Amino acid sequence: MAKITFGEAIRQAYEEEMARDRDVFLIGEDVGRWGSLYRSSTGLLEKFGPDQIKDTPISEAAIAGCGVGAAAMGMRPIVEIMYIDFITIAMDQIVNHAAKWRQLSNGKVKLPMVFKTQGGAGRRNSSQHSQCLENWFVYVPGLITVMPSSPYDVKGLLKSAVRDDNPVVFIEHKALYFEKGEVPEEEYLIPLGQAEVKRTGDDVTIIATSWMVSFALEAAERLQEEGISCEVIDPRTLWPLDRKTIIRSVKKTGLCMVVTEASAEGGWSGEASSVVHEHCFADLRRPVKRHCGMRTGIPYGPILERRCIPSVESIAGAAGALLREARGKG
Amino acid sequence: MRQLQQFYREMLLLRYFDQLCRALKMKDIIYSGYHPYEGQEGVAVGFCGALKPEDVLLSTHRPHCHAVAKGCSLESVLTEMMGRRTGCSGGLGGAMQFLAPENQFYCGSVVGSNLGLATGFALAMKQKKLDRICMCIFGDGASNHGTFHEGLNLAAIWKLPVVFVCENNQFAEAMPVQEFVACERISMRARGYGLEEITVDANDVEEARRAANEAIERCRRGKGPVLIEAVTYRIQGHYVGDPEGTYRDRKEVETARNKEPVKRAREKLLQGGVEAAELDSIEQEIEEELEALQEWALKQEFPTLEAAIDHVGIPLENAPEVRGPQSLTL
Ligand SMILES: Cc1ncc(C[n+]2csc(CCOP(=O)(O)OP(=O)(O)O)c2C)c(N)n1
Repeated sequence: MAKITFGEAIRQAYEEEMARDRDVFLIGEDVGRWGSLYRSSTGLLEKFGPDQIKDTPISEAAIAGCGVGAAAMGMRPIVEIMYIDFITIAMDQIVNHAAKWRQLSNGKVKLPMVFKTQGGAGRRNSSQHSQCLENWFVYVPGLITVMPSSPYDVKGLLKSAVRDDNPVVFIEHKALYFEKGEVPEEEYLIPLGQAEVKRTGDDVTIIATSWMVSFALEAAERLQEEGISCEVIDPRTLWPLDRKTIIRSVKKTGLCMVVTEASAEGGWSGEASSVVHEHCFADLRRPVKRHCGMRTGIPYGPILERRCIPSVESIAGAAGALLREARGKG
Repeated sequence: MRQLQQFYREMLLLRYFDQLCRALKMKDIIYSGYHPYEGQEGVAVGFCGALKPEDVLLSTHRPHCHAVAKGCSLESVLTEMMGRRTGCSGGLGGAMQFLAPENQFYCGSVVGSNLGLATGFALAMKQKKLDRICMCIFGDGASNHGTFHEGLNLAAIWKLPVVFVCENNQFAEAMPVQEFVACERISMRARGYGLEEITVDANDVEEARRAANEAIERCRRGKGPVLIEAVTYRIQGHYVGDPEGTYRDRKEVETARNKEPVKRAREKLLQGGVEAAELDSIEQEIEEELEALQEWALKQEFPTLEAAIDHVGIPLENAPEVRGPQSLTL
């Protein structure tokens, strides 16, 4: 299998979907001439032309609204918002319109569209360019929220998101674009709403999202050396959440830790841990632990930003501590 | 001539300051996105330099020269960009977002937001009958943002003392203004808000200052707001090393170099009888000043994490402990 970057996997997904269906189009700031900020649509303007690759002015509200309108007319827009921090400007179009029209039309209107954006820290850009805002979309009925963590996943999930008839908020992580991973030549899809067990283990279940998945896997590797066996689950779709995969795992391990870069308070990690408490209460040896980013704006620079979010060391430390607590309790 | 010579000195300082920043960005001592200012010094000196210390300036993601022209010290701006404690935002903001309230300077990395903010500063000034005005600088790209239209209209109906300066450097990232703005001149949009249409060649720093003074005066007399399109040209890429070939011809940049404000001021001074040696000595002085600045800046310390998260919010009196066990803690 070829090893390609996360960004290239996105580009391939676009290419395949746009060739398959001419109603699929990408709209956003500098998606054409520049092939997007992290070059995930390089060369596509030349290949598909301005009908399918649309460079827009700096007008997030209009771009998002344009996507909703075009989707209502049967097209399949992919609306790119360059940074999730700027999605704040498009929120009315997404929350009050895209998320509501299906219900308001008694199921007659469908909005087959993707709001594609990227968030998180890792590029030293301070508090207005590093946020994790996925929790907002999880909270809004009518939206599907996806956060891919690998090149393989991003390609398969993006293709499914494009083909899905719901508005999908698709949140990439800026630290992942240049990460490489194996992606098959032949076409494949990954269904929305399905978690994946990224590593099997017996002692503790770690549920991690987005960039944190790779951190959790590395932490699990280290803990293995200490004789601790971790199961790592990537929900991939934050909502609707694949509860079954999570519940099955926690019933086996009896311990669960949720790891997100977003801070815990008021976040999706609370939803995930509630699911575990509600369904696995009797199996749990200790309450679910959340290991999440600090509740702070991300400070500038390389040192502090990393200290505000979980790291391989901190995840390994927290998971090890959870296990020791459980054992101590006997 | 004496005033022009002063402008020349100020512009040259900004030119070299920007060069220093660019070099530091290339050495990875400035970490975040950094947006060069070369060629636009006529705007900073002509407009920002026209404000009194108590007037407020709201700037952009390309703020460093605006900040210095407004009166922020070179030390505080440079070390902010380098993420050091002595920076205006204590090193937490970086090269495209920082606040210096003591200098009445604010900027941020989200395009267009400042047009909304400006109305509030001006509203307070007007209602409190303060003899102060607000200047809001933004790019040609920002003029396509919703806040441009909302902010101008609000300021116009309430006759707020805001000087809106559209710094038209011909590009928003890879978007050339003539393709992304529907009217011939951005200033034409002023009519839509009942304002006068004003365009100035801001590469002529004297012209820029004249226009600035007139607009500021008008606002002080309660005859605001004013919108001015300040025409200039961005000589460097949007960021250091951007793929320039995708949106402009090198030849165009060479032509622009002949019209840039520092060169023009120098030529005019020489024609006016100022000795070349005198101008060269200014250059020498500035170079020495900046060398000392850099040496000092490199010795400054980084903020601690404790300091970075100290001011996320103002703690409530008798507040419950908010830093719970779920999140990363210090
Ligand atoms: C709301 C928002 N959308 C997009 C961006 C990404 N971005 C940063 S600078 C820029 C171009 C801004 O152009 P302009 O307003 O003309 O200012 P200039 O960069 O030319 O100084 C863009 C699109 C942003 N920072 N904020």
